[in-house]
Amino acid sequence: MLLVRSVHAGYDKLAVLSGVDLEISRGEWLALLGPNGSGKTTLLHCIAGMLVPSAGGISICGHPLRTDALAAKRRLGFGCAPEHLPGLLTGRQCLEVYAAAKSLSAIDADVLELAEQFAFTDVLDRFVGSYSLGARQKLAVLLALLGEPALVVLDEAFNGLDPAGALVLKKHLQARVSAERCGVLLATHALDVVERHSDRAVLLLGGRIARQWSREELTALRAMPGEGLESALAAASAGQ
Amino acid sequence: MAAALLQWRNAYRLGRARALGIAALCAVLVVGVLLAAPVGPALRWLAGSPLATFAISACLFGLSTVRRHDRIRSDAATSWLAALPVRSSLNLRLASGAAARLLAALVFLGLACAVGRVAMPLALRLALVTAGGALAGTLAGSPLRGGAATGSPGWHYASVRRPRRYWATAPSLIPLSYWPVAQGRIFSRPSTSRVVLFALLAIPAGRRDPGEVAIAVAAGCITAFTLLSLSTAAVRVAGNAARWLAPSGVRLRAFIIAFLWQVALKQVAVLAVTLFLACAIDYQGALRVGLPLAAAYVAISCAAASVACVWACRRAGLGAGRRGGLREDRLS
Repeated sequence: MLLVRSVHAGYDKLAVLSGVDLEISRGEWLALLGPNGSGKTTLLHCIAGMLVPSAGGISICGHPLRTDALAAKRRLGFGCAPEHLPGLLTGRQCLEVYAAAKSLSAIDADVLELAEQFAFTDVLDRFVGSYSLGARQKLAVLLALLGEPALVVLDEAFNGLDPAGALVLKKHLQARVSAERCGVLLATHALDVVERHSDRAVLLLGGRIARQWSREELTALRAMPGEGLESALAAASAGQ
Repeated sequence: MAAALLQWRNAYRLGRARALGIAALCAVLVVGVLLAAPVGPALRWLAGSPLATFAISACLFGLSTVRRHDRIRSDAATSWLAALPVRSSLNLRLASGAAARLLAALVFLGLACAVGRVAMPLALRLALVTAGGALAGTLAGSPLRGGAATGSPGWHYASVRRPRRYWATAPSLIPLSYWPVAQGRIFSRPSTSRVVLFALLAIPAGRRDPGEVAIAVAAGCITAFTLLSLSTAAVRVAGNAARWLAPSGVRLRAFIIAFLWQVALKQVAVLAVTLFLACAIDYQGALRVGLPLAAAYVAISCAAASVACVWACRRAGLGAGRRGGLREDRLS
């Protein structure tokens, strides 16, 4: 569903990604791990079509971003950074505009239901600029889930969420993935989410995929007393 | 103060072409104003009416000082240096801002004198009266503050629109245009809009007495300020809107139309009211001069905002855009 092949990208003269390969299929939750500055957000921006790679190719559901961007983006749900949300629109207006931008005939019922579960409906008619970080994060997630996207791409989506909201989001994403409604690519530092919910995890170091963990390896790490993904991550990072 | 100067310097270094472009545009505007026929009589009238000139200068400098006061306090409250135990440079920054504006006015007078629009003695008198008004206005405005709470980005100036009835069952891109309009309101401040209304209503009273002329000039300036606020807001917000909607797959034309239609509508409404009231003074003149000017302004404003949208969309990779290339400071 998502195919990333030998992607190189950067900003001006700064090279950030050097030959990244990645693949996600429907019904799969992939966690993207890596220290600050390793290129996680840059990779997500490339997948969202906000940054064009200098080399390599990305395709979503068989549609190459380079030559068929609109078709690829129609199948993508991207959770933008909370600070990039429009501060002078209300949450309701954001949902409406984003749904119209994706050419939806109506806002999905389960997205509205998720807003209810987030206890987000009370702030729907306030300017986004007045929201807390957690409320913005919830809105970014709701926007990403609009239109039943085949690929959901989230960047630090649990950052700033209250525990109840985080639990609701984990369950919702898990339900979507289990029903094979979509694949999820989550860039995160929250290792508990990776251990409990991800099917696979990849470690990005210095703009390259340095290590991958399969579902079986993650299950094994979860079962190890006193060890776990944190130690494995530290070992992998030290080995580079 | 030093941090503010460094920010200015860095902004210039990062956007040299933009800064030079703005400077060139200002120079062209100044030359255009200097060449305009009514400048000479207007300057002579101002020099011959020292009381009115003093009052206009004091009001303008007082108003700008209050606005700057608000802005500096707001910046200071949200600054990365806010937690440092250092004395605020508020007064110094207020004084330097007023001095810069006064210097610009004096340079303009000097240029007008150099090209023969006003005689040297009149220019000197005008400069003295303007400087006196500036001093009085700045001193009077310094202790005053506007309605903005410290650190507030000004959302209270923009009003929340009522949601559309079918927002969930028939979503539309229409609310996107509320964003630049709200930003325009924050730039222009609704308190200014109320003044605009009164000033505009005063235009039909006449334009023979100095007081009436002053009101007409003030109304013209404030109307221009309102229009420019909207145009500036549209250009400024275009980049953020394009970046937000880039992953959605919206088409470029749909984005531009949805983004700009309310801005254009509002500008047309303001110009229509101004023309309508101006018709009460001089029906023929208003239609002959005002109508083409208004149409040209709306066309130029929409064209500039459209260019800004297209440029922003290409940068953000919106629609089928193939370039992308955002400047990001966060790479993780």
